[in-house]
Amino acid sequence: MSKLLAIGFSAGGIPLTQTLLNALAPAYPLPIVVITHLPNYYDSGLIDLFNRVVALPVSMAFDKEPIHSGHVYFAPPDYHLLIERPGYFALSHDARVKAVRPSIDVFLKSAAEIYEKDLLAVILSGANSDGADGMATVKSLGGVTIVLDPLQTDFRTMPAAVLDAVDVDYVASLDDITALLQSVQES
Amino acid sequence: MPNHRIKDIEIELLLLALKERWGYDFTGYARASLKRRMESLIEHSGMDCLSRLLPSVLYDVEAAQTAIDAISVPTSDFFRDPPVWRYIRHTLAEQLNSFPLINIWQVGCGHGQETYSLAILLHEIGLHKKARIVTTDINNAFLNHSKIGCWPKRNLEAWTQNYQLSGGQGDFNAYFDLDDDFLYIKDEFKTTIEFVQHNLALDNAFLETQFIICRNVLIYFGENLQKRVFEVFQESLERGGFLLLGRAESRPEDLVTIQLEEYEQTLRFYRKAIRGHYV
Ligand SMILES: C[S@@+](CC[C@H](N)C(=O)[O-])C[C@H]1O[C@@H](n2cnc3c(N)ncnc32)[C@H](O)[C@@H]1O
Repeated sequence: MSKLLAIGFSAGGIPLTQTLLNALAPAYPLPIVVITHLPNYYDSGLIDLFNRVVALPVSMAFDKEPIHSGHVYFAPPDYHLLIERPGYFALSHDARVKAVRPSIDVFLKSAAEIYEKDLLAVILSGANSDGADGMATVKSLGGVTIVLDPLQTDFRTMPAAVLDAVDVDYVASLDDITALLQSVQES
Repeated sequence: MPNHRIKDIEIELLLLALKERWGYDFTGYARASLKRRMESLIEHSGMDCLSRLLPSVLYDVEAAQTAIDAISVPTSDFFRDPPVWRYIRHTLAEQLNSFPLINIWQVGCGHGQETYSLAILLHEIGLHKKARIVTTDINNAFLNHSKIGCWPKRNLEAWTQNYQLSGGQGDFNAYFDLDDDFLYIKDEFKTTIEFVQHNLALDNAFLETQFIICRNVLIYFGENLQKRVFEVFQESLERGGFLLLGRAESRPEDLVTIQLEEYEQTLRFYRKAIRGHYV
């Protein structure tokens, strides 16, 4: 049984993520971690925006914070987000990876090494290849890998890079991804 | 056993070697980010696993120093998180000025960008004569780098922007001497700063302070070490003194003995209780 859902995206992913999270509300049995490298959004109100349109509680993850089910955590801008041990976040201010921080690769690798087969990872859209290495680690440690069909977004570099690198479990439309994630709810 | 769990064992072995052989105790550090840095250490060494580095770390001081350096991360920026600096400039400065003397302990200097941001700000608000800055780090090389006060020019634009967003009205460039590749902080900003080696995992409070700035250091520590550090800060701070953490850091939840209260929650300012129960 999965213990954590990770969603990675960059350009073009905000509306997709909103739709997805709305479909999972009002209660979801897993913690949801969102990693995105949009420009510094501490003060841009992205968290407020998500809180207004999504029924699940949304907040910025902070260092050594305990992770709760049914809660949406965003990786804070300009830090890498990691899993310290089951149920706890950690942050680092180490160098950027593939020119970005937070890095989806860094989070997925760290989460995969802690949760192994109990990790559910989704890559939506974006204009760079961040996430591909992370998804490879998730897959190799037995986690479930899901990628948005690159034909369904204008920003297909990111999902396409994952498909190049990994033999993922599902390549699907947003509706199908939603259904897949909802099935966790029922099982 | 999957490979990554074997790596976890190797990390514990290396930490033991650094502690018992060289007296550098990193055992209280958070493992997730440490693991990443150990992976880049292996990559740079050209070895295929950490345990092959162990013999040289045990017998060769240079190899040990390389491992120690790989554990500390000097990343920093001028006026990082501008709203925090704006708050110091426009709100906290007045509070600080109400103390008869102002000792500021800036913890973890990295390459000094944060230290000189503070020196510049104090200068601009006219507190540079009254305030004394003591900056500390575990890593002597970083302290020396900071003392020299020199950085590659490539970030100048971003730093200037941070400075302006933080409420700076002056000409940021004027605080530096520039050549083709580097910027050098002007000497007048160095005089108010003392550089001291201090290890948060081992050393105690050494100075009574009115303001402690400790950003992006605690994230590298595990929970127990974080608690120790809070005790050191509490001891060092005068009553009514302030503590500033990084924007994604917070006080450990279950610290009952701590008299550090939230002061400005989103920007992560804390204040030591003015009155309190002595136990
Ligand atoms: C990421 S830098 C932070 C620089 C600056 N404070 C900032 O936020 O821009 C972290 C610093 O903490 C220092 N550090 C790590 N462990 C330490 C310890 N045990 N005691 C004191 N300093 C330590 C590192 O050497 C490094 O300079």
